[in-house]
Amino acid sequence: MEKGNSDDSEIRPVSSPPPVDRFGFLKNQQNGAPQVSSQSSIPREKERIKKWRKMIGVGGIDWKHYVKRKPHVVKRRIRKGIPDCLRGLVWQFISGSRDLLLMNPGVYEQLVIYESSASEMDIIRDISRTFPSHVFFQLRHGPGQRSLYNVLKAYSVYDREVGYVQGMGFLAGLLLLYMSEEDAFWLLVALLKGAVHAPMEGLYQVGLPLVQQYLFQFESLVKEYMPKLGEHFAQEMINPTMYCSQWFITVFSYSFPFHLTLRIWDVFLHEGVKIVFKVGLALLKSRQDELVQYPFEKLLHALRNFPEDAMNPDTLLPLAYSFKVLIFFSPT
Amino acid sequence: MAPVSALAKYKLVFLGDQSVGKTSIITRFMYDKFDTTYQATIGIDFLSKTMYLEDRTVRLQLWDTAGQERFRSLIPSYIRDSSVAVIVYDVASRQSFLNTSKWIEEVRTERGSDVIIVLVGNKTDLVEKRQVSIEEAEAKANQLNVMFIETSAKAGFNIKALFRKIAAALPGMEAISAKQEDMVDVNLRSNNSNTSQSQAQSGGCSC
Repeated sequence: MEKGNSDDSEIRPVSSPPPVDRFGFLKNQQNGAPQVSSQSSIPREKERIKKWRKMIGVGGIDWKHYVKRKPHVVKRRIRKGIPDCLRGLVWQFISGSRDLLLMNPGVYEQLVIYESSASEMDIIRDISRTFPSHVFFQLRHGPGQRSLYNVLKAYSVYDREVGYVQGMGFLAGLLLLYMSEEDAFWLLVALLKGAVHAPMEGLYQVGLPLVQQYLFQFESLVKEYMPKLGEHFAQEMINPTMYCSQWFITVFSYSFPFHLTLRIWDVFLHEGVKIVFKVGLALLKSRQDELVQYPFEKLLHALRNFPEDAMNPDTLLPLAYSFKVLIFFSPT
Repeated sequence: MAPVSALAKYKLVFLGDQSVGKTSIITRFMYDKFDTTYQATIGIDFLSKTMYLEDRTVRLQLWDTAGQERFRSLIPSYIRDSSVAVIVYDVASRQSFLNTSKWIEEVRTERGSDVIIVLVGNKTDLVEKRQVSIEEAEAKANQLNVMFIETSAKAGFNIKALFRKIAAALPGMEAISAKQEDMVDVNLRSNNSNTSQSQAQSGGCSC
């Protein structure tokens, strides 16, 4: 169903829509989410949303005040998971992207419409390969793919040194499921330029300096917290580039169940990159006893395919919080 | 059934520009399938498969890599560690063909002549969009002294032939027996023998 310049309104619905999970991913894909929580928890969920709405205020008017007065309450509630219907909005508050948006009216439009970028072909080659199993991004040249292209192109113009790097599409794609193009763009800017936390742009600059640094630090943390496993990795000649560079480059948005990705992103946007280290350590810890016995091939396979129960956010995240991680940032 | 004695292992690294079909070739080889919902490879991916040949059985360990220039800093150690480099281009993308020179150069720099290099022109199913002729690619392969084959992962064309060609070029039996110690893998059919397997392997690796 190739389409030219037709309007969205002209896109006819497919005869029988494919079955998707509650996040819009085609069923039976790796990103599949479990069924919605049981009936009994619905009133509790409603109560939670009410609390959150109160905390945010109309149009976000109370948010900053609330955060100042009760930072610990905010932190605790975010760690429990932001209600899905408020997620997009809250992400913009905690990442600092809403302020960037307000300070730069018209800039995004300028970048999208008038500028051209050396990365355009690179971006196009990856568009249909970013969340290909999500309905929003499935239709060739459909609204999802167009938005994704626009955000990535705009960023590659905004920062010509970084341009476009494979992996950024997953960040942008994830954001676009929760907010408009322009909002997603400014959140990407907030992350890469470091509006409230350490800038992420080093993950994508030439030589991938921050990837190298984080992988080195992650390896040291494994040795510190799980010395037996660290030693086993060394013996089997497993190094972190073999299994976890994607964890950092895409902040767990590449090959993990989507409901887990979202919970990690809630905390990531509020508390910074430390949560990526902590979740990584928790994943290893949860399977440590098996991993230390596996030889090279089996080990690599296990490190890329964690079982469903190891990826349950309600057990994985508390385990992640139990690790103390100090990251020293070397200014680039 | 192949004998269950020593199983020779070989590492292959897949290189080439973004979206030329490295992952698709590997998936076709591994599972004999092709689907349109591949995600772009980020960083490095790993897969392995046992290949049963007429006279022997080999275990292939495949490193799949991200094609974008920016990721090259992650790749050299994988080239150093591999005895085969599979360098893929898209027959419908002249640029991806031209860029194979850089990849071949990089492999030669890391490994000298102690490596098998295969140039692979993928996506022959895109008949109308072809930008690189088989003659031109053959000439380039001859000139650079590397092997060459055209494939279509989508149509399943020549994928088995590619891996058979690679297997036939792998160091022969005499090399295997000479290097037996670090090539030994114990009985892959049984998964209960984890402990002995891991011992055998770590013994091999630490030397």
